Amino acid sequence: MFPNRFEYRRPGSLAEAVQILAENPDAKLLAGGHSLLPAMKLRLAAPSTLVDLSQIEGLRGIAANGALTIGALATYNQVHDSAAVRQAAPMLADTCGIVGDPQVRVRGTLGGSLAHADPAADLTAVVLALGGEVTVVGSGGERTIAADDLFVDLLTTSLAPEEIITEIRIPDLAGAKMAYEKHEHPASGYAVVGVAAVLAMGDGGTIRSARLAVTGATAKATRLSSAEAVLAGKTVRTETIAAAAAAAADGLEINGDLYASADYRRHLVGVLTRRALERATG
Amino acid sequence: MPTPSGEQPQRLGVGSGELPRWEEGADLSIVGRAHPRVEGDAKVTGGAQYASDVRLPGQLYARVLRSPYAHARLTGLDTGRAAALPGVHAVLSSANAPEIAWYEDSLLFDRTLRFVGDEVAAVAAESEEIADDALRLIVDAYEPLPFVLDLDTALAPDAPKLRPSGNLNGEPTVYERGDLAAGLRDADVIVEETYVTQAALHNCLEPHGCTAAWDGDRLTLWSSTQSVFDVRQRVAEALGLPEHHVRVIKQHMGGGFGSKQIAWKQDVIAALLAKESGRPVQLMLDREAENLAVGNRNPTRQRVRLGAKRDGTLTAIAVDAAQQIGAHPVGGEGADVPAIYQNLYRCPNVRTEQRLVFTNTGPAVAFRAPGHVEAAFALEQAMDQLARALDLDPLELRRRNYADQDQAEGKPYTLPEALGRCYDLAADAFGWAGYQKPPAAGPKRRGVGLAAHDWAGGGGSPPGYAWVKWNADGSVDVVTGTQDIGTGARTGLTQVAAEELGLPMDRVALHLGDTANGPYAPVSSGSATQSTIGPAIRAAAADAKRQLFEAASEFLEAPPEAMTIRDGKIHVAGEPEDRATPVGDVTAQIAPTMIQGHGERGPNPEDKSVRTVGAQIVEVEVDTETGEVSVCRVVAAHDCGRIINPTLVDSQVIGGVTQGIGFALFEDRVVDAGTGVVLNANLEDYHVPTAADVPPIRNVHLNLPDREANPTGAKGIGEPPLIPTAPAIANAVYDAIGVRIRELPLSRRRVLDALATREAPR
Repeated sequence: MFPNRFEYRRPGSLAEAVQILAENPDAKLLAGGHSLLPAMKLRLAAPSTLVDLSQIEGLRGIAANGALTIGALATYNQVHDSAAVRQAAPMLADTCGIVGDPQVRVRGTLGGSLAHADPAADLTAVVLALGGEVTVVGSGGERTIAADDLFVDLLTTSLAPEEIITEIRIPDLAGAKMAYEKHEHPASGYAVVGVAAVLAMGDGGTIRSARLAVTGATAKATRLSSAEAVLAGKTVRTETIAAAAAAAADGLEINGDLYASADYRRHLVGVLTRRALERATG
Repeated sequence: MPTPSGEQPQRLGVGSGELPRWEEGADLSIVGRAHPRVEGDAKVTGGAQYASDVRLPGQLYARVLRSPYAHARLTGLDTGRAAALPGVHAVLSSANAPEIAWYEDSLLFDRTLRFVGDEVAAVAAESEEIADDALRLIVDAYEPLPFVLDLDTALAPDAPKLRPSGNLNGEPTVYERGDLAAGLRDADVIVEETYVTQAALHNCLEPHGCTAAWDGDRLTLWSSTQSVFDVRQRVAEALGLPEHHVRVIKQHMGGGFGSKQIAWKQDVIAALLAKESGRPVQLMLDREAENLAVGNRNPTRQRVRLGAKRDGTLTAIAVDAAQQIGAHPVGGEGADVPAIYQNLYRCPNVRTEQRLVFTNTGPAVAFRAPGHVEAAFALEQAMDQLARALDLDPLELRRRNYADQDQAEGKPYTLPEALGRCYDLAADAFGWAGYQKPPAAGPKRRGVGLAAHDWAGGGGSPPGYAWVKWNADGSVDVVTGTQDIGTGARTGLTQVAAEELGLPMDRVALHLGDTANGPYAPVSSGSATQSTIGPAIRAAAADAKRQLFEAASEFLEAPPEAMTIRDGKIHVAGEPEDRATPVGDVTAQIAPTMIQGHGERGPNPEDKSVRTVGAQIVEVEVDTETGEVSVCRVVAAHDCGRIINPTLVDSQVIGGVTQGIGFALFEDRVVDAGTGVVLNANLEDYHVPTAADVPPIRNVHLNLPDREANPTGAKGIGEPPLIPTAPAIANAVYDAIGVRIRELPLSRRRVLDALATREAPR
């Protein structure tokens, strides 16, 4: 349970951090460290260099102006406690209050969770369902990646090796109904399956559009497009929710492990989709 | 014990059998009180010393290289690079270690490896990090051998063999009374089912390990063990040392649960590494090694048959039990599964058969109420099924088959009424008779379940000894060679001493856990520490008190038999209260003459059976969509004789029920079928219940002194509370959803599967 030897760097600016990443292709960024350091202790990860982001200014702010902007180094607790986040995207605030355990929530960061792209993370599905996007800085300057394009595969994102997430943007979702339902692993607390649902509402109780995303079941956080199609344009009724839940796992490539088989997870995707929709609209 | 001449040896001090009993209702001022743990301050401030806290000048840290194969022969081992790593001081393996016999037919470092985790080599270095790195530099080569990982494959006719004699450890053990076939013929109803229990891992908070230090040819070992005397004997034997050259110390312990009731290899490996390096060596197991190599609860398969008359009277009980004991006979691997079938219910026709099966998995060892926990899951579900088949209340069925004597031993119980009283207490406290299920809401269903237990332990394991030394200032040191494995034995035993001596608790210091400083006491297993050593301490205190009264007789001008001690003062019958003399006045007068009391735990009664019994009732809620079972509340009632300290008893019950919830719902060692690798030898995948999983647990106190068991009337409570929890939960799950699950754990997936194939209630 001891990591390999590594260099430790603590740059004072983003430019310096990008520079270090460019010079050390197998370097890793250290934000909260609650995913990276255990992996290093198990020697599942052995970066030559750790780049500690903690001294870089301006990566922790949370601002709301219709849309919501959250600095990548904002901790789960900061997001959870933010009145602006609670107002604009209560599901995001709530989920940051149930991630991991208190120690994780004190240190862990929203940007770190998205960059790590753990297949059982909570926030990946939540940000995906919220239609969020991330701003990244790299040697080629700044660009924006939609959550829809961020998660590529197991622990893999579309970030270039020298790119750093600087902030997360959540669009203006005024009036939307949302909820995240999770069936957690009894030991680790990770999502065996988690489903996040966001319903943009039109007139007269109709669902203008729906964004649903699943985590835990698949290699990466994934949209539940079959369920979304069922919901779009419908009014909120028990039958509509049941139909969406029944369709939720359609087309998903679901993984099994020693705790939960693929079949069990498939079943849970339906159950949790229904529960998330019921809670969002209840 | 007869001497060679046939005479009884002269005994120093008092045998506990000679003491007057503490009767029910006796006027006791310290025993029976919820005194806080005497070591509590040290524990909460971090001052209490555990095996891993030992720090000696020049101390090294050791790590063990373990077999990556389930069954293999070691064909090559090159430790050269490891030994050359700066900071490494000693490397041990089959290449250079002495050939020390271990596990009956194996060696300390054997070249035949029989499970993933079997010891291959060990390294001592200046830090754990260096030792870890050194292990990675060892080049090891193996010839893999065919292996078996579970009962089915091990018992197959053409199974690969762990040993030339096959995969059975000895012949099957058969117990019979009456005529089983006749009992089954006479039955109006027969229940016949097979139950499967899993490998649970002890997961003591403090892992196994020790620190070894030599002073010339004398060895001191700080070991995390349930028996300092057994470790001393085993280590001395392995190293060819006389026993007085080995000192074993255990002051505080983060749990043992049976897994530390024997000496394991690391006690000897650490000593050898210390000898080799000339430095003290600490060898603590990490969580993975802990969960591979030093014990687990044996998986079982139990085919159960019950026969009963229409009125519920049992006519036949039979079990055919196969138990997976892992790769090695470590001592204590053969859990007593049959016992509860033989004794929990009155039945004339009983047959039990037990087979112990070797597999290429980590060795099984006693785990809190070994055998009884596994057996109760099967028997108590079968009884529940029988009750429903007969349309009888499950509690009523149990009452109709009440056993008031030990049928296997053919002796009456010392407390034949205890189980019936536990039934009454638990049922009343739970509200069993009037229980109404709440109306089903959404996917959640509620149910209640009951289970009883019998436990062969708790009565004590004589002999055991204690000394009392009365100091000049009137304070007392009590010395015994037992150990406190985290249960609070220190506190309970101090209460017994203080009560008998008539001193306040803070005038008594109890010293234990050191072979050099106390007389023999047995292993802390079988829930026996309080009931073995409590009477010995009481006897030593009585012996010392008698001597004090004799010494005081001259000064106080009163006969010894007129004296009593209360709150540290000697009272003489007929004298006014304010004339009482502080004990210290007498001890100061006679100083430096020291009063010393010696006590011995006398034998258990020969004509009666001392056992412990109890019952638990639980309410569960099942989420029929996810399969999740939540335990809503637990009511427990257990016989432990006189309660010495209610807080400590409640703690044992809460801890036992908590482990029972884990056994019922979560805990399950998963072994990869293709390799024999344990996939969840950690606490991230293997769920041990946490505070969030534990519902309100109410422990109802029976507190019925067992006057015939021993002169304190107290019996053990360490193990029994775990026994009935899992079957009570399984019975409650059945009550909730009408599905009987006969395989543990009741995982969410298993509950859902059972719901999907819902069988008709039987």
